Amino acid sequence: MDLFFQQVLNGLMIGSTYAVVALGFSLVFSVMRVVNMAHPEFFMAGAFGAYLTIRYVTTNFFGVLAGGMLVAAIVGLVVERLAIRPVRGRYVMIPFIATSGVGIALQHLAERVFGSDPVAIPPVVPTVSYTLGPLSVTRMQLVTFAIAAILMLGLRYYVRNTKWGRATRAVAERPDVAAAFGVDVNFVSRLTIGISALMAGAAGVSIGILYTSAWAFMGLLYGLKSFVCMLVAGNRHIEGVMAIGLLLGVLEALVSGYITSTLRDAVAFGVLVVVLVFKPNGLFGSYSV
Amino acid sequence: MSLLLRVKDLEVSYGAVPAVKRVALEVPAGEIRAILGANGAGKSSTIKAILGLVKARGTIELEGRPIHGVPTHRIHQLGVAWVPEGRQLFSTLTVHENLEMGAFARGDGPRFASRVDEMFTLFPRLRERRGQLAGSLSGGEQQMLAIARALISEPRLLIMDEPSLGLAPKVVQSLFEQIQAINARGLSILMVEQNARQALKIAHYAYLLEVGRLAAEGTSAALMASEDVQRVYLGG
Repeated sequence: MDLFFQQVLNGLMIGSTYAVVALGFSLVFSVMRVVNMAHPEFFMAGAFGAYLTIRYVTTNFFGVLAGGMLVAAIVGLVVERLAIRPVRGRYVMIPFIATSGVGIALQHLAERVFGSDPVAIPPVVPTVSYTLGPLSVTRMQLVTFAIAAILMLGLRYYVRNTKWGRATRAVAERPDVAAAFGVDVNFVSRLTIGISALMAGAAGVSIGILYTSAWAFMGLLYGLKSFVCMLVAGNRHIEGVMAIGLLLGVLEALVSGYITSTLRDAVAFGVLVVVLVFKPNGLFGSYSV
Repeated sequence: MSLLLRVKDLEVSYGAVPAVKRVALEVPAGEIRAILGANGAGKSSTIKAILGLVKARGTIELEGRPIHGVPTHRIHQLGVAWVPEGRQLFSTLTVHENLEMGAFARGDGPRFASRVDEMFTLFPRLRERRGQLAGSLSGGEQQMLAIARALISEPRLLIMDEPSLGLAPKVVQSLFEQIQAINARGLSILMVEQNARQALKIAHYAYLLEVGRLAAEGTSAALMASEDVQRVYLGG
């Protein structure tokens, strides 16, 4: 039973970052009807932003976090300008392909700059473990979870309780009507991309520090899994996306702990197939294209 | 009488298909004017062109100021509010949140609270439903909310697209009375309606569209009396 709880705990820590990345995916899709295939690269940009900040600016954790998020946000605005704004409102596959192209370009740009092997990120958070009975957790795991939790709750508050969050929901449902009531839909779109990039960037910083490396292609699998979370949950309720992200982390940890860690990456896609057979709109409902 | 809205030589087409051809219309301050016509006559396209939601050619002026090519959200800021066809509420937002969206360009603050109160006095049913999701309201209640959402922005011109669509005859009756009451307080209204008989009862003046062209126009009394209009639109 100790193994079970330990794996659930580990899973929640990692799952929180899946949820954060998936929320950005989902938010952008709901608001703009754009599947932003460059979204995983915001995550990658966050990790390299952390690496660069540590190397050239500061080793203070909050500075590193801010640096990573900033780099991700800049990449986000570039992607918006290059691959989303020119093709917005077109058939859904067009921005899909445009953002895929920019995403691939970003991966190879990172490979050019940082090399094809992972670069090492020094531990800027002391490698301390805490134990609670039989369970143990590192400080960086806790930090990762705390950042993810703050971002998730912050996003939820923003979307539900603020004027611009309300406008974001209105644009998600009926962009024309929202515009006719004075909402600048393009501004809301840029704001949404920016928020999604900041969140994915923060997850990239956490994962980069947790696994002590950044890599040009680290976004691929991670982004795909987050994409799966969005599909499984459906993009209508942000709470649904959060829950599925956490759940995926836990399932993966349990499969690693009880079966074999080589099956870990298959969990997400297995769940996706089963869910889509029975609930093609995801478990909690989706906006249509 | 000052002219609030002036549209001249309006052309709208969807790809190669023309929807509106050389339409001209005016809304003087304080009047209710109606655009009548069958399905596909170009009524909604005309309205969407005024709101900047579809590409159009021609002249569109609000109080003498050209608004053609101005982004939709800015046209709203100039005092144009819209009650869309089929209500098009933000169904995943509550009644109160829909009103907040209506007042988006005005900002909230103490003035907003008193405006909400005014809307609830005008449509008491909405007060009871304020915390409910807009999608869960009945058809009549949704129409009230769509009108309240537009009115709360304190517009100078209210554009209504098929307000009677899908409502029970009894509800339509009281809705038109309410529209008349709103107009009596000084608000100018441009209304699109398929229900020509009802619309002519409250409009001062009306335009008749046929396959994208202006087929007739005149005061409501004159149109009611016209034999052609009687035959084609009023089933007389």
